[in-house]
Amino acid sequence: MERTPLTRSALKGIVLNIQHFSTHDGPGIRTTVFLKGCSLRCKWCSNPESIHPKPELAYNLGKCIGKDQCGFCLKECPESAIFTVDSDVKVRINWDLCTNCGKCVPVCPPQALYLFGQAMTVDEVLDEVEQDSAFYRESGGGITLSGGECLLQADFAAGLLAGAHERGINTAIETAFNVPWSHVEKVLPHVDVVLHDHKLTVPERHKKWTGVDNKRILENIKRAYETFADKTFVARTPLIPGVNDDEEHIRAVLAFIKPYKNVVDYELLPYMRFGESKYGFLGKVYEMQDFNPPSPELLARLRAIIDEAFGRSGNRTQM
Amino acid sequence: MTTSTKRIAINLGGGYVPGLNAVITGVVLAANELGWEVVGIRDGFDGLLAPERYPDGGLLQLTPQVVENLSAGGSAILGNATRTDPFRVRQVNAENQVEEVDRSGDLIAKINAEKIDAVISVVGPRALSILFKLHRQGLRTVCVPTSVENDVAATQLSFGFNSALSFAVDMLERVRQAAQSAQKIGVVEVLGEHAGWLALQAGMAVCADAVLIPEIPYDLQKVAAKLREKINAGRTSGLVVVAEGALPRDGQHPQTEAVAPESLKASLSPGATGQGGSHVIEGSGRAAQAVALQLQRLTDQVTYPLVLGPLVRGGPPTAVDRQLGLGYGAGAVRAVNENQTGVMVAFQPPELKFVPLAEAINKVRTVPANSVFVQIARSLGIALGD
Repeated sequence: MERTPLTRSALKGIVLNIQHFSTHDGPGIRTTVFLKGCSLRCKWCSNPESIHPKPELAYNLGKCIGKDQCGFCLKECPESAIFTVDSDVKVRINWDLCTNCGKCVPVCPPQALYLFGQAMTVDEVLDEVEQDSAFYRESGGGITLSGGECLLQADFAAGLLAGAHERGINTAIETAFNVPWSHVEKVLPHVDVVLHDHKLTVPERHKKWTGVDNKRILENIKRAYETFADKTFVARTPLIPGVNDDEEHIRAVLAFIKPYKNVVDYELLPYMRFGESKYGFLGKVYEMQDFNPPSPELLARLRAIIDEAFGRSGNRTQM
Repeated sequence: MTTSTKRIAINLGGGYVPGLNAVITGVVLAANELGWEVVGIRDGFDGLLAPERYPDGGLLQLTPQVVENLSAGGSAILGNATRTDPFRVRQVNAENQVEEVDRSGDLIAKINAEKIDAVISVVGPRALSILFKLHRQGLRTVCVPTSVENDVAATQLSFGFNSALSFAVDMLERVRQAAQSAQKIGVVEVLGEHAGWLALQAGMAVCADAVLIPEIPYDLQKVAAKLREKINAGRTSGLVVVAEGALPRDGQHPQTEAVAPESLKASLSPGATGQGGSHVIEGSGRAAQAVALQLQRLTDQVTYPLVLGPLVRGGPPTAVDRQLGLGYGAGAVRAVNENQTGVMVAFQPPELKFVPLAEAINKVRTVPANSVFVQIARSLGIALGD
């Protein structure tokens, strides 16, 4: 059933963050809205706070002013999940006892304890996004939905994007397409640019590194290319050392996308270790901490293959 | 089944620690003396939660004959699940989505269906909380503490620590020799996020020039001054031991590399670039790297960082850990026999005691400021950075 603007504007979703002035998520200057919840578990994930579908507690020990001056959280926690160690006044979190109830958050004056993710309505998000509309007009930018997997909250995402269109804002999404087709069908009509991942081509390897094989993902991508022929698609690969930073993968993706004229580019996103400190904030362990980002030489070589496939001169990749 | 004959299970809820097989042996032999049956649950609780993964069954019958042939340094008999958490079991649902689900109720039902009277779990500090939650849900559990960092609060000595310490001492001696030949200052990082026992005791044993531990925020100017004294007296090398959780006095986490500004996700991901002085262990080697760089600057002597890190978790157990492991295993069986559950076996010399899990969790055994080891280190002239 098509939602009327009135019912749509009150739709709520769990929003992780609204990032203004993004320049890497589609054309122009954009505002990226991160929706919480993901259906993959990529070992290199740089946004671990986006994985869990509900709001969850994070703790930045560096900001804690300690039990001597404060200590309110110790009394507030109903699960006894906050404690101290003898050698330090700063509190610690027992992540196994924490239920993410968030009761400690309002009593933490330095905001060392905070929640990743909050419920927002479509209108609340769009009002904030619209503040930068002058920049969108100047640069050809707009709103980008990211995540997590933004297609998981399909009704909310569709509401946001349809609402953005009504306000004259260009729309893009970042997705891995690991969702039921019904979600894709609901959201894509409201999207101008679809940025989507090709993480790994071999199904068993995809399962090993992300938690599921890529059978449904590839079906969805193909069907999206064909069903939404008027949309612009950009394929992307997060380049992970020792996982998919090889010619074989790049050529396999090129072979997959090349028959479709609406796939206008294939971007490589070099792996970076940003996620690490956030894993600590959430009491999680980052498994890929000991790898270095891909070298500029490797990146140039792989990008040259893509440039050649897209019939570009390849000047930017000459070393 | 009569009440006097029991069927108990043992599982391992952490990675390999030297002495694991001694605990298994201790449990099996002590249970056998009571006429009890012992089964091992493979890979934490996976043997029960995902039996289809195991062609020979998720449970392994552990008899005296089986444990007789266990090598002291072996590790694989029950598998080495890195972490056991039935409250967050990762699975793929019907929608092909990866999710974490609470299967604790399911687990307890399976334990009851297998007629297992009690579970003895060999776990590190974090998994203790998980076993505490399972105990609250009705699981009869006895925990045996393992920690190569010796940071479990209710016990004086976790098994595995002594083996890690001996290996660290051996390695530090080698580093010292190498540093002497190369005329450099070796900066060696050892495990220890909150507790500096391993760094302090190993550093003391080899009379290192400095030992930096999480409990004592360090001022590298002071460490450098001490090193310069020795350099001025003609020494050309040095040895510094750093626990991975050691922090400088100003509380800032040592930053060894800038985050590339052109990176895509950096601009998008909230909090990604803000280090914010957070106390986060950012991968092995960063603490040593930061200290080595800074000391080189302050002493004008070439330094080099080395990381022992997880190496100390491997290898055979020392005599102390063999005895302790057997003792903990036998002690856990005694706890079950005395009908004590929801407890952890604790070594409080000269006795093995049973401490309620509620008292064992949420505590970290750190080095007190007046610890005898701190006092000895100071009298030996070892710089502690304060």
